Order: sequence, then structure tokens, then C-alpha cells
Amino acid sequence: MLTAQVQEEIVPYGELLAQEAVPAALISMRDIWRTYQMGEEQVHALRGVSFDVQKGEYVAIIGPSGSGKSTLMNIIGCLDTPTRGRYWINGKLVSEMDDDELARIRNKEVGFVFQTFNLLPRATALHNVELPLIYAGVPAAERRERAKRALMAVDLADRMMHKPNELSGGQRQRVAIARALVNHPSILLADEPTGALDTATSREIMNLFERLHEEGNTIIIVTHEPDIAARAHRIISIRDGRIEKDERVK
Amino acid sequence: MVRIKFLRSGGSFYENLWMAIATLRAHKLRSSLTIIGVVIGVWTVIGISSLISGIDLAVKREVESFGIRSIFIYKFDIGFRTSEPTREERMRPNLTYEDALAIAQLPSVEVSVPFLNITNNRWGQKILVTRAGKTSAAVRLEGTLPDYERAGVETISEGRFFVQYENDSSQPVCVIGSSVADNFFPYGSPIGETIEIGGREFRVVGVLAKREQFGGGEGSDDVNNVIYVPYNVARKLKPNADDVFILAVARAGYLDQAKDEITDLLRRRRQVPFDQPNNFSIETAESIVQQFRSLMAGVAIAMVAISSVGLMVGGIGVMNIMLVSVTERTREIGTRKAIGARRRDILWQFLIEAATLTGMGGLIGLLLGWATSFVIRLFLPSYVPLWAPIVGVIASVGIGIIFGLWPAWKAARLDPVEALRYE
Repeated sequence: MLTAQVQEEIVPYGELLAQEAVPAALISMRDIWRTYQMGEEQVHALRGVSFDVQKGEYVAIIGPSGSGKSTLMNIIGCLDTPTRGRYWINGKLVSEMDDDELARIRNKEVGFVFQTFNLLPRATALHNVELPLIYAGVPAAERRERAKRALMAVDLADRMMHKPNELSGGQRQRVAIARALVNHPSILLADEPTGALDTATSREIMNLFERLHEEGNTIIIVTHEPDIAARAHRIISIRDGRIEKDERVK
Repeated sequence: MVRIKFLRSGGSFYENLWMAIATLRAHKLRSSLTIIGVVIGVWTVIGISSLISGIDLAVKREVESFGIRSIFIYKFDIGFRTSEPTREERMRPNLTYEDALAIAQLPSVEVSVPFLNITNNRWGQKILVTRAGKTSAAVRLEGTLPDYERAGVETISEGRFFVQYENDSSQPVCVIGSSVADNFFPYGSPIGETIEIGGREFRVVGVLAKREQFGGGEGSDDVNNVIYVPYNVARKLKPNADDVFILAVARAGYLDQAKDEITDLLRRRRQVPFDQPNNFSIETAESIVQQFRSLMAGVAIAMVAISSVGLMVGGIGVMNIMLVSVTERTREIGTRKAIGARRRDILWQFLIEAATLTGMGGLIGLLLGWATSFVIRLFLPSYVPLWAPIVGVIASVGIGIIFGLWPAWKAARLDPVEALRYE
């Protein structure tokens, strides 16, 4: 603890200046640490991760389980805050934000796609897609209009009034993608988006991601499947809480 | 700024309400079991308040049917009592015929008449009323003066009241209540017919109009089951009787003054020392209604106690079910947080759900209470006082908010990462 404090205090002047400057990248991580206290022991899930993601990139984050990729995804998605280090989204320093500000960033800047879709079971597809707009305070009529457009964008115009249990897995994931896109986020953050889908449907969903990328969306996919990661244009490999490899593949 | 914030949460209020109703509908059995306590609590409030209002109105009407200017004077306490008379009370001297005549002379008193009850004879046995082989012991027998007609309590429907001459010369005449007329003279008019009272023949000179009464009244409880005879005649049927009840009527606008004058007069006549309390009671319709109301206040407190037990039980049930609901929906809460719900959004969602649950219980209780009030209305002039449904709904929604607060706070505080990982 003491050493950590001392380390933070003795920072070279030039580096200090660099930290204060707001980076131009869409996502900018500088020396991100995430430490959990497990009883007496400290577990470092992330040990100084730094990288940038530019607008319009298609990035896959891969790594074996326990590598820290889930922790990294939670921090990128502002569900969690780093123990140390700085993190900017769109020029906003989110690593120092409080709960309500983080909720606002998640609402406006991040669109989540989950492995198990996480749709509200008793709500229609349309209402599920409307949900982020409700929390954004968008008026009902506009909300409905935007949600419809988002569903049309994922080719579900004819399933708007269906509930999740009346939809196939692929359709459910497309509803979830529409929900992620409806508030025009800066990044689309997908956590094993094909993990619960069969091969054919997985391909369909990955094609959708590709199309969304071509339309200008910034996409980050967290996965452990190499063939899913291979569809991305840049692969960041995580191992033992550090970036092992960061390579542009296309 | 505060207003804008309020409006913003107002926008999601209907969303939350809609979601809450959908969730409750998805768990119909669980929801309905949970709200039973609240239903019973509100039902009790509405039901008993309408019962109390009904009894209150009935008693008020009945007491006031004796006249709002009437003053009742008796040696024992009049009205509602539950304790045995004390030794001092048992030792009190009787009020007398002469007391009644003296009161009649007071300037603010219009009428004052004595009543001599001869339902029981000098040995405590019932004096029987007989005609054409039909006998009744349940008829209330009173000796009074013709002035009673002027008190405005009774109305003659047929014939006439007896007159002073008939009293002075102890004529065996009587005025009968409507129930007596129905029982003993089912066919034709009783006027001029005879009826036997205590073995003596009496001629019926008048029949009284039927008086409405609280609870219907049967037999000796029926105010219409009464025969009035001249005071002097009554004295002859029960020679030792000297225990008189006095009814006085004040001149219009002089009720309080008449009460004071009568009190002064009786204290003097009964030689009550100035430092001693009255050894008689003097009441008005209003004071008897007041007595009754203080009695009813006790019932009202018991009602509040019963219904608050129901509401507490309901509240604990709601807390329990909301805690279950929060646990079951951990992933949903995580998802909502991931897509931008703030703590207060989650807090509101669960508070509104709890309040909707108990509010529905309140509404059901309200409907049952109204139905109960309709049933009560068959016996009593019952109504649901305006405050009762308002208190019922506010209390039930309030219970939801109070007992929903902790589960909702628990939900709002959930860490989104852990909530999303929850299986």
C-alpha cells in the first residue's frame, strides 16, 4: 500500500503532463490496474494495461479464462472502475467518475451485447429496445420511433411486438444489438456475443457486426473463440492481466 | 432544476408502473397472497368506519326523535353505562310528581311532565295487558300527564290524547303505541274499544303514529310497544310508586338556560349542599349523543389497532416478497444498470412495484369495505365516511413504500458486474 502511494507521488514531470493531456482517441487506457482484495491477499486482475482504440475500429479482445479479459471488458464498459490508471472515453475521464456519471456514460457512450442476451422476458422486443432511451429521458413518441428504426436496422421490423420467448436465439441477439445501438453509442461492446448460438446463427450475427462496422460503428468484441476474433481487424491478446500481443490483422 | 429532475422521474413513473403491473400479473398467486394482510387492514378500516358511522347516525336520529329541546331528568345517570350504581347512587331520593310540576313553572321551560313506569307492579311482577284471549307482558306501561302531547315526541295518528280532566278524575283511558294497536287490534279501529291492563278495563282514546327506531326493536325493546295512561290512574295501579322520570322541553333557544334553572331548582328542592355534586342526572339529546360518541371512540381505537396489525403483517409480507423479487431479478437489475439505469432509477422501480402491490391490496380492501357497507345498510343508515377510503389508500401505498424501501435500496446498491454474473 505504502509503495503504491510512493510510486504515484514520484512521477516524472513530462509523464505528468502527458497524463493531463486529453487523448484524441475514442478509447484511451493508461496503466490500468484492477486489484481485488481476497481476504489477506491482493489479486491483480489487470497489471498496467494501456492501449487506444480509434473511432471506427473493429477490435477483438481474446485471452484464456482468468486472463483478465472480463475485468478489462467491465472497465471498458464502465461497469467497473480501475484501482489505478486513467481511462478516457470520447475525451471524458471516466476513471474518476461517480456512480451516476458512470450510469450516464454507459447509457450514452456504450452499447452492451451480452452472451445470454439479457432481455426483459415480459417485455416486447420494442419495449426492450426502448429501455436505454427511457433511462436517457427521451420522450415516449420519439423513443418508440427510434426503437423501431433500430429494430429495422437489424431486420426485425416484423417481430417488434414479440416477447423474447417467441423469438429464436439469433433474433433475440439481434434485439439485444438493436438495444445496444438505439442510443447511438460511441462503442458497441460485445461479450461472447455468439457463445449461446449455433454455428449458422453465429455466422449470421458476425455478419451483422461486420455490416455495423462498415456503417461506421466502433466495435469491441470480447471472446475466447479464435474464429470469431479472426473476423476483427485488430486483436488484443490478454494474458495474466497484461497485454501479450496487440496486432492489426486486416 | 429540482422541477426538471422531478419531471424526468415522472416520465419513467408510468414506465415503472406499467412494468410493475406486468410483473405482478406474471406472479398472480404470489401477489395476491402477499397483499391479503393489506386487504384485511383496509377492509377493516372501511367496514368498521361505515359501521360506526351507521350506528352513530342511528343513535343520533333516535335520541333526537325525543326532541332536540328535550331535557331528561332522572335520579340515576341516563344514557350508556357499564358499571354498577354506587352506594351513593342507590341512596338517592326519588324525583317526584311535584318536582315535575315545579319545573313546569320555570320561565325557560315550556313543558314538564312526570313519567311513572308501571310495567312491573309493586312486587316486581309484570303487569299484563290482555284483550280477547291475547296477553302480553312486554308492553311498556307509563303514567303521564296530557301535557306530554305538547312535548312533540309522540304524534297522534288516530283519536286523541287523554285530557287533564280524565287524569284528575282517574278515568280508565289509555293511548296506545302502534305496535300495541297492531297486536291487539289487527282488524278495525281500536278507538272506543277496551283493553285490560292489570285486570282493569281501559278504553282506548288514541293511537300513536309509528316511530322509527334503531335496530328495529322487538317486544319490550320496541318503542312502539307502549301504553300511556293518566298519571293518577297509574298511581292507583301501583300505589307505592314514586320513582318518577321527568321530561322537560325548553322554550326555543333557551335550552342551556332551562338546564341551569332546572339544576338550581332541583338542588334546592333536594337540599344538595353547595359543595356537593348533583344527586340526579340531567341530560339533553345532544349530551347523550356526546356520551355515545366517547364510547364509540374506544371502538374506533380498537379498529385502528386491528387494521394496523393487518397492515403491518401485510407490510412484512411485502418486504419478504420484494426481497425474493430482487434476488430473482438480480440479472435484470444488472442489465438495467449496464444500459444506463442509475441507482435512483432502480430504487424507484422497486418502490413503485411495492407500492403498486399494496395499493392494489388497498383497492381490493376498499371494494370489500364498500360491499360490507352495503350489507350494513340493510340494518343501519350506514355510509362510508369520505376520510376512510382516502386513509385506506394512503396507508396501503405508504406501507408499500415503507416496507419496500429496504429491498429497493438493496437492489439499487447492487454492483452491476456481480449482478450480471449472477446465475
